[in-house]
Amino acid sequence: MTWILRLPFTVVLMGLGAIAMLVPAAHGAVMEDFTTMRIFFYGFILFSFLTLLIGLATSGYNPKSVSRSQLLGLLFAFSVLPLMFALPFYVAVGNTTFLNAWFEMVSCFTTTGASVYDNAGRLTPSLHLWRALIGWLGGLLIWVTAVSIFAPMNLGGFEVRATAAAGRAGPNSYAQISRIADPSERLVRFTLMLTPIYAGLTAMLWIGLVVAGEFPYIALTHAMSTLSTSGVSAIGGLYYAASGFWGELLILGFFAFALSRLTFTKGLTGEDGQSLRRDPEFLTALFLILGVTFLLFLRHFLGATDQGTGATFGDILAALWGSLFTITSFLTTTGFESHYWDGAQFWSGLETPGLFLIGMALIGGGVATTAGGVKLLRIYALYRHGERELDRLLLPSSVGGGGKDARRIRKQGAFISWVFFMLFAISIAAVMLLLSLTGVQFETAMVLAVSALSTTGPLASVAAEAPISYAGIPDSAKVILAFAMVLGRLEALAIIALFNPEIWQR
Amino acid sequence: MKVIICGAGQVGWQIARHLSGENNDVTVVDNNPELVRRATDTLDVQGIAGFASYPDVLERAGARDADMVIAATHSDEVNMVTCQVAHSVFAVQRKIARLRAQTYLDPAYSDLYRRDHLPIDVVISPEKEVAEAALQRLAAPAAFDTESFLEGRAQLLGIIIDEDCPVINTPLRQLTDLFSTLRAIVVGIRRDGALFVPSPGDQIFPDDECYIFTVTEDMTRTLEIFGKTQSKQERIVIVGAGNVGLGVAKALEARTERVRVRIIERDREAAENAADSLDRTIVLHGDGLDSALLEEANIGTADAVLAVTDDDKTNLLTSVRAKEMGCPMAITLINDPTLIPLMGPLDIDAYINPRAVTVSSILRHIRHGRVRGVYSIGDAEAEVIEAQVLGTSPIAGKRVRDVSFPEGMLIGAIMKEGKVVRPKGDTRIEEGDVIAIFAMSEDVPEVERLLQVSIDFF
Repeated sequence: MTWILRLPFTVVLMGLGAIAMLVPAAHGAVMEDFTTMRIFFYGFILFSFLTLLIGLATSGYNPKSVSRSQLLGLLFAFSVLPLMFALPFYVAVGNTTFLNAWFEMVSCFTTTGASVYDNAGRLTPSLHLWRALIGWLGGLLIWVTAVSIFAPMNLGGFEVRATAAAGRAGPNSYAQISRIADPSERLVRFTLMLTPIYAGLTAMLWIGLVVAGEFPYIALTHAMSTLSTSGVSAIGGLYYAASGFWGELLILGFFAFALSRLTFTKGLTGEDGQSLRRDPEFLTALFLILGVTFLLFLRHFLGATDQGTGATFGDILAALWGSLFTITSFLTTTGFESHYWDGAQFWSGLETPGLFLIGMALIGGGVATTAGGVKLLRIYALYRHGERELDRLLLPSSVGGGGKDARRIRKQGAFISWVFFMLFAISIAAVMLLLSLTGVQFETAMVLAVSALSTTGPLASVAAEAPISYAGIPDSAKVILAFAMVLGRLEALAIIALFNPEIWQR
Repeated sequence: MKVIICGAGQVGWQIARHLSGENNDVTVVDNNPELVRRATDTLDVQGIAGFASYPDVLERAGARDADMVIAATHSDEVNMVTCQVAHSVFAVQRKIARLRAQTYLDPAYSDLYRRDHLPIDVVISPEKEVAEAALQRLAAPAAFDTESFLEGRAQLLGIIIDEDCPVINTPLRQLTDLFSTLRAIVVGIRRDGALFVPSPGDQIFPDDECYIFTVTEDMTRTLEIFGKTQSKQERIVIVGAGNVGLGVAKALEARTERVRVRIIERDREAAENAADSLDRTIVLHGDGLDSALLEEANIGTADAVLAVTDDDKTNLLTSVRAKEMGCPMAITLINDPTLIPLMGPLDIDAYINPRAVTVSSILRHIRHGRVRGVYSIGDAEAEVIEAQVLGTSPIAGKRVRDVSFPEGMLIGAIMKEGKVVRPKGDTRIEEGDVIAIFAMSEDVPEVERLLQVSIDFF
């Protein structure tokens, strides 16, 4: 097994991707969709062979900086690997362009879930499974790499709490530390540790949804896209889901895994065992979800009173649930729309407040979870900083309490969060500008930019006044969006860290 | 008695000074030869330079025939080990250790100091006691000195008499008749710098510093009679967030009534530490002498300022500045007793002398026998001793007027079966009573003879 360790990260990922093609092949065989089966199986043979060749060629590969090589590998994985995923998909769909297939795969792998195939019936069940599976694998990749690659380098949200500067590992100047664990060892260890949890949780949700009355195959895709927050669905979202309210309730419970890392792991990065009840991310998320749900509900309530439309108590409850579920879903950047979300609209006669959802998607979920966006910890750091600065307006020389950790979050943490926030805002502006250049309208460009950078694909069909179709935008815009998704998934800081001289020259 | 004092810092030196003044054989141990020299040069003590916890150092200090070891170095752990070594190797009878860390003082873990675990007979914690003294001063803002006795049922108050005091120029005997229900007694007067015990014919004049013994319930009334009003302390500014300042702030935070506290600390790290351990208190970082910072601490509307940094002069000047900026009351921590006469000219209301507090707490344990509390007044000019009357004592069973007390001593209060009474001529002192005696230093040996305590120990 040790020879796997010595292979470059990208080759390992390629091999895993090739093996994953066996899943739709098997599904195709079971569903008697032999064309799809054949295509994916040939894909598996072709890419295993390719991987083998590349693996042999790079077996003596000895990078100067393993962490840089892994970071580069991650960038490669999110941008180039989808080419490989797209090939069997392109052939299997038949009547599509390769660009569309590649866009689809990037969107799935970055857990965005934006689809150019508006009509779900255009794809066979095996192809939907392939999309969900790619999203699921992307989520797993993020889980593992966040802890094993980003955490030691103080990236991906870990920089908020870190003592060292972002993009750099902590000081290793202790004389006793005579050996540092190889990053690939760490990768293997965390993969072995987290994969069973990830797969187990998915299986639990799958079974739960089946019990709630869902078709097993749709339940599986929904379970996969909930855990990976990709929002990929074989039936165009939860609206037509057979599991109904109970299914939504289950899914809402599993959104928690995208809100805070502490829901599934504790102490992986050497932090002291905080309890979930005092976790700033989880508390911020709860506050945001409840606060925004209440605001939306109030808006509809006042609207309904104004209009004088008669509504039963059940309608009100349904509207409340619809808001709660959809808000949470967009905060985790999954993008599932509740079946009852429209109910709120009908009840009050007010239009969908899409801007709320754009804001939630921008904020995003927890650090080192599958969620995208700015991340709750950064929002929390900025909030604490603002609160402290207000105190300092009154008492300029006062000293803030809360412990060393809290102080660091308020100072250095808020600073780096602000840097990130600005980078994110600039990215949005840049992507919007580029999209506008390709001829996309302003509002559409804004929604698309946010949905790509926050990896919340379904935002496009919900947030704008009229649903935006990915199929309808120019090809150049699709390319731009695909790269925006990679940027949003990896976070700008990680890409900037690649240019860090300390990583570059060693 | 042969005593080894480990640590010749502030606390160790003060204990050494006090004990050597009482004809004890004192040896001082410190790893800093400078400090040892200072002790041997200024006091009648022997000195050994070396680590207090090393057995060979203790042996050279004469631990084999020592009666007591007082471990008062800066490090809690060294103090603990010193006591353990003194116990296990040299079988020293009494071991006193100074421990500062809160967790060592937690009653939940007090089992640790049992004889078969970590043999420490008495744990002293000067900072904690100084903080308590500061709280007492805050509780009685009109008094410059306070201490509680008889399980908190009686208070010793030091009051400066003003011009408009209603009881001036009246013989004390007459006051007793005027306020016959008031359970209070004037036990000492300092006039023009000299402390004396008043006789019934003496009068009180303006600018006298009176030491009054009163039952706790009558404290407010006593203060009113002597022309002082009790005001509520709601906004307090503390300068210095060391162990003392932090201890006071924590105690104030723990109170049920809301007290607004602001702490000023110059050292960033200490300020952050204070901010972390306090909840509602606002911690300000900067120099307490800076008027802008005092302004920020709202000194103008504060009820009291408590200057408890480790520097006497800073404390004095901060108090003066705070009073100048409108704070009605200033309490100052002063280590150097020669600065105490400056209180009056500088218009500082009260002071805390950590030495008196520390020495009091040590003396309480040295005067073992039936002595339950000792409080040192002024620059060791007088002591208040709280003791239980033994059956063998010459005063047991006698009326107060029949006992031939020395001139420099007075009984402040007597507690009979849990009830505090004011001593009168015909009050009979019985076995088992607890009495609080105010005695001038030169009469302390005589008091000890009367109490039959010295046989136990000296």
